[in-house]
Amino acid sequence: MKIEMKKTPFSFVGKSVRRVDALDKAAGISKYGSDLSFPNMLYACAFRSLKPRIKIKNLSDEKAKKIRGYVGLITCKDIRGKNRWPLVMEDYPFLPERESRFAGETIALVLAKDRKAAKKAASMLKLEHEELPFVDDPLKSMEKGSVKIFGRNNVFSKYVIKKGEALKSLERCKYKIKGEFETNYQVHSYLETQVATAVPASDGSMTIYSSTQCPFYVLDAVCAVTGLSNHRVKVIQTVTGGGFGGKEDMPALVAAHAAICAQKTGKPVRLSYERKEDFMSMSKRHPSYSSVMYGADESGRIRACVIKYVLDSGAYSTLSPIVLWRGSVHAAGPYDIENVLIETYAVATNKVPCGAFRGFGQPQICFAQESLIDDLADKIGMDPVEFRLKNIIRKGSRTVTGQKIDESCGLSEIVNIVRKKSAWDRFGVKREGEKIIALGFANTYYGVGLGAKGRFLDRAGAYINIYKDGSVSVNVGNTEMGQGALTVLTQICAETLNCPLENVHIHEVDTSKVPDSGPTVASRTTIMSGNAIMEAARPLRERIFKTAMEILGSDKVSASGGFFFVGKKRISFAQVVKECWARRLKMSEQGWYTAPKTSFSEKNGKGDSYVVYSYSANAALVEIDIKTFEMKIRKVFAAYDVGKLINPRLALAQAHGGILQGAGWALFENLVYKDGIMLNPGFADYALATSADMPEYAVSFVEKEYTDGPYNAKGIGELPLIAVAPAVRNAVKNALGLRLNKIPMLPENVWSMSKNKKCFCREN
Amino acid sequence: MPEVIEKFYSLKELWKKLPKLPVDRKYLAGGTDLIVGYNLGISSNECYLDISDIRELNLVRENKKQVFIGAGVKLAELGKNSLIKRWVPALYDCVPHFASSSLRNMATLGGNLANASPSADGVCALAASRAWVLLNLYGKRESKPVLSVLKGPKKNALKKDQIIEGFIVPKKRHKAVFLKLISRAKFGIGKVGICVCADIEKKFVKDINVVLSSVAPTVFEAKKTSSILKYSYLTAKIVEKASETIRTEVSPISDIRSAQDYRREMCGVLLERALRYIA
Repeated sequence: MKIEMKKTPFSFVGKSVRRVDALDKAAGISKYGSDLSFPNMLYACAFRSLKPRIKIKNLSDEKAKKIRGYVGLITCKDIRGKNRWPLVMEDYPFLPERESRFAGETIALVLAKDRKAAKKAASMLKLEHEELPFVDDPLKSMEKGSVKIFGRNNVFSKYVIKKGEALKSLERCKYKIKGEFETNYQVHSYLETQVATAVPASDGSMTIYSSTQCPFYVLDAVCAVTGLSNHRVKVIQTVTGGGFGGKEDMPALVAAHAAICAQKTGKPVRLSYERKEDFMSMSKRHPSYSSVMYGADESGRIRACVIKYVLDSGAYSTLSPIVLWRGSVHAAGPYDIENVLIETYAVATNKVPCGAFRGFGQPQICFAQESLIDDLADKIGMDPVEFRLKNIIRKGSRTVTGQKIDESCGLSEIVNIVRKKSAWDRFGVKREGEKIIALGFANTYYGVGLGAKGRFLDRAGAYINIYKDGSVSVNVGNTEMGQGALTVLTQICAETLNCPLENVHIHEVDTSKVPDSGPTVASRTTIMSGNAIMEAARPLRERIFKTAMEILGSDKVSASGGFFFVGKKRISFAQVVKECWARRLKMSEQGWYTAPKTSFSEKNGKGDSYVVYSYSANAALVEIDIKTFEMKIRKVFAAYDVGKLINPRLALAQAHGGILQGAGWALFENLVYKDGIMLNPGFADYALATSADMPEYAVSFVEKEYTDGPYNAKGIGELPLIAVAPAVRNAVKNALGLRLNKIPMLPENVWSMSKNKKCFCREN
Repeated sequence: MPEVIEKFYSLKELWKKLPKLPVDRKYLAGGTDLIVGYNLGISSNECYLDISDIRELNLVRENKKQVFIGAGVKLAELGKNSLIKRWVPALYDCVPHFASSSLRNMATLGGNLANASPSADGVCALAASRAWVLLNLYGKRESKPVLSVLKGPKKNALKKDQIIEGFIVPKKRHKAVFLKLISRAKFGIGKVGICVCADIEKKFVKDINVVLSSVAPTVFEAKKTSSILKYSYLTAKIVEKASETIRTEVSPISDIRSAQDYRREMCGVLLERALRYIA
């Protein structure tokens, strides 16, 4: 007898069920990292460099010793393991030995009996140092004569993707266009700043409580810095107040620092960051510089694309090589182009290291290429949406790396949906007093999961244990950070087992309970942990269904909402489980899912980059004040193909959040550096979008099924942010005729451009 | 936070206990600047004197000629006060622009003046309303024009332990408008702010006072601009002249919030809009 997975209708999948963690969070019951307390706990405070680059000569705590509660100073000499963070290129020391490379870098840690004393003691350390020459501009950093801070050329990583003969083809094109673009930092601005607590045990092992997206990265770092083997360190994820990529790699550094302190003192140690130090030292979205050229023939077909893309990586490489790779393979946009040349660089500067941020290297280059696509359409005299529809990838198309799109591609459908809903063909440009209102369009695609560059990490585990009373305990290796993973995974588990939703409890990630499931990034959790849960649930489902059939005396049973039916007879999930236990059936299982193979080769830049793609189309309705040049996004029309929606309400929330985060980056988030020093490390002067900036949303979904996805889902988390900025920029271009090639699009810059260039208004 | 936080309920109690308290002290009313500064590491003091519940500082009252606004009255309360609405319309108009609703529940006008920020919205509105500040040091009172207390960015002319008791605004019916540009829709420190108080009848300006924020080292009274407009009809020509004058009268800088040229230009734009709204 084989138990088939039902296709439709579903009891829980596809339903907008309430978030399983909503009540605890709303009522203040959830315990965040700073809510935890342990006997004899000490508090650590980071002592940071305030200069872009220094030689460390001596650090004295003589004055700090007078502070009541002061316990001691921790430096690199206290590291018992290896002083290299095991992350991609391993160039970041946990604590610098001779040289500090950016203002904000932790040089040492101060320990005290309370947080206030630790902070005060840290302020009393005396650092003897020598200022060293530094480089703060990535383009200058790449020049021959620049100060060298990494290798021979300050380049952390470089990729070349070549398809056809791009330069020759470009020469032959009737229409050619070139643009240079620049984007600034973006700060993750998670509500909860970085926090970790290290609790040593008497046997020398250690438990780490960490606010993190990636407990296994924390495990790797803590084991490296302490010299402890994997099984002697346990990492437990605490309720995490936002991540957006900022809690991918960075919590490992914070936890490693707490672990050094705990190992030395034998006491629990808490390290929590204030907002200012979080700004100064934690990763950001990379600033970028790009030069893009497109060429099209007279029919409007894009024939060639040449791109140079540079990311300002900051002082250490962290995740830059991978961020750059994602940006590289998506750089030409979702278009079927025969001739492509993409060269990309991640470059070292003496500034805060940059890393993961929702979109992971794509938003910057998407801003450039989607802006230039609009400009090219203008040059040809074609409608920008029509031009896109003529060139976008469809089923059967090949990407720039030669990957054939063979399933689940709804891009043309969503472009048409947005075109229709936004009344694109009729809207034009409107004038209301001193305001001009116009629409701008942009579309994009997003490779779901880690892809070829992270193929060795693309696996996930799950453990399901069904108790005698019918309650279900689930351990997974991917985390909830506010995105709704717990709810979606609960729905998948409940659907597969046919148990009531409330019977399922997914535990916080504990690295001792589940195998390394890779990071919670790249919009991969639904697919990876979802599939791992289904893998674990399948044999349990067979046992449960078989038992239900036997109880109900039939070889055919229907199941829905936690009940099993034969005609009018029904039995509950709990009753069936009780019988399973009575029959001594195995009621726990492990699941393991590995992503399908990807063939991309860095040697020739060819092959399948990702297993599947999600797609987005966006039209931004933007209002511009023609005197102050302030911009307001009135409405965003967006449509997404993210496969089957497990929870439509949560998918919509991801869309709303992503759009607003993209809008903030596009219009006003502006982290300012001068001479290697961050000038506005706080929310008083770093403007973040608020609810008052929220546009009206008109969001649609097309559910193109992905065969290998759990219940045919793909992934959504990052996609909604990516193409917002170019849609806004294209709206401003359509309204004023000004081509803004720099993010954030500050009114100051638009006003300045309007003075120097002829500004026009294409009114209806 | 400091080792010592001492709370007071009357000025008498404050003056009595003051000599025994640590010398390195600051006065805490709403705390919306002080605590931010502390968190950013800009300021640290041994002792905070909590004056938020001193009753003399928490009054709004009137007599025949004046309205008195206690320095400790929360901005949110001022935004609901009928006396303020009637007699200090500039302040009433300013309150919704002032920071966020949560900050307005804590912030005070006294703190806004003492903090001496060039972008102080409340001070801008008070100065445009020709308010005087009432100061108190060990019971000795003095009053002076609001702007005379400001010496430069984050620098005030208050003597040590001199308390801002409140503000005195003359009762004179007029119209007012407050405008400011910030980097997002709401809740921001101004790039440029303007407050215009005027008595205008059939486009004839009988009296006017134009005050700006964020475009000079302190909140700034644009006297030349006001003098061009006073006793004039608000014709397009006179508005243009005033707009040109205000651009030359201010002295903005480029900083993390905006650019000098843009700020200068926007002073003219905001003045034109303010005059249009008020006329």
